Amino acid sequence: MSAKDNIQSLPSIPENWIACKDCDLLLERVEAPLGDKALCPRCANPLYQPREQSVERTLALALTGLLLFIPANLLPVMTLDLVGQESSTTIYEGSLVLFREGLYWTALLVFFASVVIPLCKLLLMLFVSGYLQLQRSSPLLPYAFRYYHYLDEWGMLEVYMLSVLVAVVKLKGMASVIPGIGLYCFIALLLVTTLMSSLLDQDDFWTRIEHGLKGQPQ
Amino acid sequence: MKQHPLTARQMGLIRCHTCGKLAFDVGHDGYEEHCPRCQAHMHMRATNSLSRTWALLITATILYIPANILPIMTVTYFGSGQPDTIMSGVITLLQHGSYPVAAVIFIASILVPVLKMVALLILLLSVQLKWVLDDRQRTRMYRAVELVGRWSMLDMFVIALLVALVNFGSIAQIVSGPGATAFGSVVVLTMLAATTFDARLIWDKEVIDD
Repeated sequence: MSAKDNIQSLPSIPENWIACKDCDLLLERVEAPLGDKALCPRCANPLYQPREQSVERTLALALTGLLLFIPANLLPVMTLDLVGQESSTTIYEGSLVLFREGLYWTALLVFFASVVIPLCKLLLMLFVSGYLQLQRSSPLLPYAFRYYHYLDEWGMLEVYMLSVLVAVVKLKGMASVIPGIGLYCFIALLLVTTLMSSLLDQDDFWTRIEHGLKGQPQ
Repeated sequence: MKQHPLTARQMGLIRCHTCGKLAFDVGHDGYEEHCPRCQAHMHMRATNSLSRTWALLITATILYIPANILPIMTVTYFGSGQPDTIMSGVITLLQHGSYPVAAVIFIASILVPVLKMVALLILLLSVQLKWVLDDRQRTRMYRAVELVGRWSMLDMFVIALLVALVNFGSIAQIVSGPGATAFGSVVVLTMLAATTFDARLIWDKEVIDD
């Protein structure tokens, strides 16, 4: 059964078979109600979670996120007032300053986790859900969605948000802190991206990508 | 849910680790099999999962020492100031009465990295030495490690924000220290270690027993 030459003679795998990511148990897929999570009976790992209108919603949220991304990154997150002197910072400036101080690795880490990867995730999602929404196919779709999957855990906007709060508390004894417009845009961006990942039905996306490509004449 | 008595591996099937597609295992003669759906490399189990996770975990543990000994930043306020390590930063916050923030930093920068490294150590040892532990609990522990790891980046972002904001020359200045680099590396290395560990290894012993 494992010989390469015998591929022709292999039976096809039933469409509704799935395996658990964490314990490899082979299962038969059953339709779960929208929004419900199907759990693995052996290790309790979430298997899939059908979402309503996942493509439309993630597309809308990716567009909103990209629009918010610009002011959230270019406008000051907060301004510090110390005996009449003012200093303000934007998100990307934080890593720029670290870079100038010579902490290149730290600067890159912060820059990637707070700016580059969230932006890439939004762009990839716009591309994938846009193509799926228009029912167009592209050979790049599987790659784009794969990289979205790889980048997923390295975008850390919510961690950044908490760090803004911590920074405010740390600074409050030293100077007065004034929140900037950038901060409000950032909070909106965080809400939009969090909603985007929770409304994303990965399983549905992969099925659509697969079937879309099959339907396309080569 | 109807349950087959078997794992995918016992049926000669590989589950793509990226998209979840099942495919027949035909890759025994040394060539890389690609997922028919997403084109990712397919492996029955992550390649050299245990060795890679060990390597990353040991490196992270070594770097954890300078991360805690070296200063992560120095706050200079009206000419006076001293370098702060992660722990002294938490203590300073406690002295100022900012208990919630001190707790957040303590959890994110000290508790989570330590628990994460201990959890990975237990997972690695238990798989390697075939300890009899509750597999469901161990899988749960693995998923917790995967989920919380990113929150340790908190301190890095705080440093980036403070250094960029507090730049008032001789009045007040915050400069980052080498401890930040070491700590950032610890966070990344433990996140990578969690990714390279293949949770299916926890359950695989049943295959061996058969």
